[in-house]
Amino acid sequence: MPQFFLNKRLIVLLISIIILVALIGFSLRERSQPSWPEQFVKDTSGWVQSLVSKPTQYVVDLFGNLQDLQNTYQENKQLKTRVDKLASLEAQVQKLEKDNKQLRDVLGEKKTLSDFKPLPATAIGRNPDQWNDIIVIDKGKINGIEQNMAVMTATGLVGKIKSVNQFSSTVQLLSALDPKNRISAYIQGEANAYGLVEGYDAEKKQLLVKRIPYDAKVKKGQTVITSGLGGVFPAGLLIGTVESVKTDQYGLNQTAYIKPGANFYDIEDVLVIKRNATQPAASDMGAQKGENL
Amino acid sequence: MKKLLLPLSLVLLFLIESLLVQFMPANLFGDKVWVPRFLIITIFFLTIYGSAKHGIIYGLIFGLLFDIVFTEILGIYLFLYPLTAFIVLKIMKVLQVNLITTSVVSLIGVALLESAVYGMNRIIGITTIDFMSFLNMRLIPTLLLNAIFLIIASYPLKRNFEKFADRLRAD
Repeated sequence: MPQFFLNKRLIVLLISIIILVALIGFSLRERSQPSWPEQFVKDTSGWVQSLVSKPTQYVVDLFGNLQDLQNTYQENKQLKTRVDKLASLEAQVQKLEKDNKQLRDVLGEKKTLSDFKPLPATAIGRNPDQWNDIIVIDKGKINGIEQNMAVMTATGLVGKIKSVNQFSSTVQLLSALDPKNRISAYIQGEANAYGLVEGYDAEKKQLLVKRIPYDAKVKKGQTVITSGLGGVFPAGLLIGTVESVKTDQYGLNQTAYIKPGANFYDIEDVLVIKRNATQPAASDMGAQKGENL
Repeated sequence: MKKLLLPLSLVLLFLIESLLVQFMPANLFGDKVWVPRFLIITIFFLTIYGSAKHGIIYGLIFGLLFDIVFTEILGIYLFLYPLTAFIVLKIMKVLQVNLITTSVVSLIGVALLESAVYGMNRIIGITTIDFMSFLNMRLIPTLLLNAIFLIIASYPLKRNFEKFADRLRAD
C-alpha cells in the first residue's frame, strides 16, 4: 500500500469531501418537503427562536417608538393633509366596489384571481450569513400554510414560502437568486405592461422585471403588481415602483428596475397569502418537471 | 448544571446571531453586509483553550444545525465549521498562545470561513457577485464586526474555557 492511503487525516478529509458533495447534491435536488429529521430540528429550533425573538421584538419596538416620537410633529402635519383627501377617496372606493360586485353578479362571475385569504405570521429568525435570503416564520402546516404561497408585509410582496414544517416555515425572499423564483407581474399604466419578476440586483437593491414587450411604455414611478397569471400568487399584490427601464441586449424586450415596496431588511410581521382561485396543475401550463411557475 | 452551561451558551449565541441580523436597522451601514460569526469564534476559543475534541464536535453539531435551520443546503457549514476549527488549531500549534495571537488567528479563521462559503455559493449559483465586491461588501465589514466582538468577549471566553479545560482534566 502506498504511503498515501495510510495517512489517516487525508482519508478523513477525502471521505468528508465526498459526503459534502453528496449532501449538497441531495439538498439542491427538487424537494417538495424537507425530510422528517430536518422538520423536527426546524420545529424545535423554531420554538426556541420564538421564545427569544418575541421579547426582543418587544424591546426593539419600544426603542423604535421612542424614536418615532421625535418626528411626530412633522408627520402629523403631513398626515392631516392626506386625511382630508381620504374621506372622499373612501366613499369613491366603496361606490366602485359596490358597482364591481353588482356587475360581477350580473355576469355570474363569483371568483376572481385577486381574492385571497391572509394568514398573519411573525418572523422569528433570519439567516445570519445572508447569502440565501431566508427568514423563518412562526406558522406552519397546522395553521394552513402551504408551499409556494406568497408572503407580504404591509408595504409589499417580500417572497414566497420555501418549505413548510408542522409549526414553522421558511420564506425565501424575492432578493434570493433563484432561477425558479419567477413571478408574473404587470406595470400599471394606460395599457398594462406584463413581465416577469426575475432576479435581483444586489448592488442597487432593486428587483428586475424582465420580458416586458419592447413597445410597452414604461415610466419611472409606475406601480408594479402581481398579475395572478403565474397560477400561484393572487392578482393585485403590490411589488414596488419602477425606477428605470432599459432595453435588453437584443432589443426584443425591456427590463425594468423596480424599487421594492417592502424593505427586505426590516421584516417583522408578515401576511401569508392563500389564493382562493384554484391553482392550475403545473403540467397544464407546460411546466418542465420540478419547475414552479 | 455546569455541564449544560457550554451547550446552552452556544445555543444562545446561535440565536443571537440570527436575532442580530433580523433586528439590525436596515440602512445603518449602506449596502454593506455584516455577518455575525460569534458562534464560530467561540468554537475557535473552545478548541484552543478548552479541548480540541469538544471544539470539533460542537463545530459539527452547530454546523449541521445552521445548515438545517438557515440555509436548507446541507453540508456547507457541517463541513466548514469543524474544518476551520481544525485549521485554527493547527496554526495555533505553531504560534505562541496568548490572547492577541488567538484573536488574530480567530479573525483569520472567520475570513477563511466567509471566503469558503462565498466560494461554495458561487459554485452552486446562489450568488453571482465577483470577488472584489464580495471583499468590499461583505468580508471587510464582517471582519470589523467580529473584531468588535473579539475585543469585548475574548478575555471572558479565554477565562471560561481555561476553567472548562481544568474541569475536564479533574474528571
